[in-house]
Amino acid sequence: MSDTQHFVISIISRDRIGIIYEVTKAISELEGNIAEVRQSVLSGYFTMILLASFPSTVNQRAIERKLAEADSHSESAIEAVVRKADESALSKSSSSASEHTYVLTATGNDRIGFVATMTSFCVRHNANILDLSTTVSDGAYVMILVIDLNHTVSINDVRRDLQQFSLENNIKVVLQHYDIFRALNEINLPIR
Amino acid sequence: MIRPEEILNTVDMIQKENLDVRAVTMGISLLDCHRATVEQTCEAIKDKIKRHAGNLVATCEAVSAEYSVPVVNKRVSITPIAHVGAGFDAAGFVKIAKALDEAAAEIGIDFLGGFSADVSSGATLGDYELIASIPEALTCTKKVCASVNVGTTRSGINMDAVVLLGRTVKDLAERSSEQGGFAAAKFVIFTNQPGDNPFMAGAIHGLGQPEIVINVGVSGPGVIARALERRIAQAGSENLGLHDLAEEIKRTAFRVTRCGELIGRQVARALNVPFGVVDLSLAPTPNVGDSVGEIIQILGVDAIGAPGSTAIVALLNDAVKKGGAFASQSVGGLSGAFIPVCEDQALANAVRDESLVLEKLEAMTSVCSVGLDMIAIPGSVDAETISAIIADEMAIGMINNKTTAVRVIPVPGKEAGEFVSFGGLFGESAIAPVRNAGKSARFIQFAGKIPAPIHSLRN
Repeated sequence: MSDTQHFVISIISRDRIGIIYEVTKAISELEGNIAEVRQSVLSGYFTMILLASFPSTVNQRAIERKLAEADSHSESAIEAVVRKADESALSKSSSSASEHTYVLTATGNDRIGFVATMTSFCVRHNANILDLSTTVSDGAYVMILVIDLNHTVSINDVRRDLQQFSLENNIKVVLQHYDIFRALNEINLPIR
Repeated sequence: MIRPEEILNTVDMIQKENLDVRAVTMGISLLDCHRATVEQTCEAIKDKIKRHAGNLVATCEAVSAEYSVPVVNKRVSITPIAHVGAGFDAAGFVKIAKALDEAAAEIGIDFLGGFSADVSSGATLGDYELIASIPEALTCTKKVCASVNVGTTRSGINMDAVVLLGRTVKDLAERSSEQGGFAAAKFVIFTNQPGDNPFMAGAIHGLGQPEIVINVGVSGPGVIARALERRIAQAGSENLGLHDLAEEIKRTAFRVTRCGELIGRQVARALNVPFGVVDLSLAPTPNVGDSVGEIIQILGVDAIGAPGSTAIVALLNDAVKKGGAFASQSVGGLSGAFIPVCEDQALANAVRDESLVLEKLEAMTSVCSVGLDMIAIPGSVDAETISAIIADEMAIGMINNKTTAVRVIPVPGKEAGEFVSFGGLFGESAIAPVRNAGKSARFIQFAGKIPAPIHSLRN
């Protein structure tokens, strides 16, 4: 049995100076070693997900208590969720663009369920969503999904079903291989 | 991950601003297709074209669907046929033209270029037969395009050929008078013709090219126009200098050219054919929002052809090249800004409104690519004057070490100020007046050769 174990920690809080410091200080005081971090800020709220390895003497309860302590000193509440990482899941490399990466752009009137409708299409076709963002353009609601079609049986079927989906839901959809965006926006040409 | 704003920007370029791959052209060497008889040669030619380009259209459509970028035209260019058919007579060349036409129809391409010869230092017997066959060849076929290179900076201009070809242009127009003289739109006369240009009607698979190649022409006048408008709206024209606008064009040209580079390479890979060049020319279509003339107006002249127009085209042409050159590993073809009058709504309107005249177009060709292109002129203009127009344009190319070309369409039975409709993509085109017509006969009658300029001696 190895002498370290991995935990996944998820943080949500009102955005302010000092959150990352408080959290990572708490982790280092428990002798935790941070392996990977992602964070983003949305509409004044901060969220972070990180993977850290701790000595086997430290358990989930101990991490939660330590983070709660950091929380009690800080100006606004930090909510933390701590989970023991499934060691077998850790060997998967982080998702990045492969030759099966596509961009799906969906444009339509803003409505309840827009995102759910579009993402349910992805589920039905075994498409894994790598990145999702929404914006408003020319008065219409636009969803941009970067998807991995590695496990999709037939891309032609996806295209055909998309046309049907577009008519049924009154959503304009365009499906393009990710490389066209890289070619037009990056210095290196994505040649495989 | 690419940022969402950049993704949307790219999607808009394609969906709203007319970014597309204008032409994917497969160049095929036919040097090994000459046989003892014309009929056998025709069979060998058809066979080779079908064998290599049979899948071209389908492959382009598949790659186009993958990236959702339209590939508008799929074409083939061949070795200038004068080399392949040397030894046959004009009638034989007409048969070859028909064979090329059949092959083109069977594989589903829209044009086939290369019914051509290079006579820059002088014409061979075969070259003369080819030239003699052009009027019939282009009127009895649909998809074949012809060109003749009459000059190079190194060899000078073959004026004997220029004299001959003025008559060829007239002949083509007269034989297709029912279509407004449109056969002349399938024939281009060049100086310094490149061997890898993917655009018609002047595409050839030149000598020195490999066995098979894929060349690509992109198109994005609309993208550049919209990018300029946004920049001006965002910063205010009082805060921008021409260098800022040149920079915007350059950056946008990078993206436009990259589109062609990616798609061209994917088509080449799928067909297992070497990738040749991206021609980064700014090529307009008659569609709204796809105009080079519009860019000229955005860059500051109220009427295209007004003073400043030449300077603007020079800036535009150069900025396109700079951005495009960084985007592609191998740039070739014509690579500049096109000003084809009948194919560009804003240019055609400027001719109609008489702000853009032939003489100004000629000035603009000295700083952009191609030349006097797709210009309808009165059917009454005599052959000598047409030859003299050609000579002027060829001289610009020869002295400036650049490609220039002439593709004018004399419209039988119509005069300056009238209109002709060529159908298809083309709207109504005004017929441009030709000033001082009929005054160049003595110059043309001298014929012979215009010697190569001294600066061609570079060794």
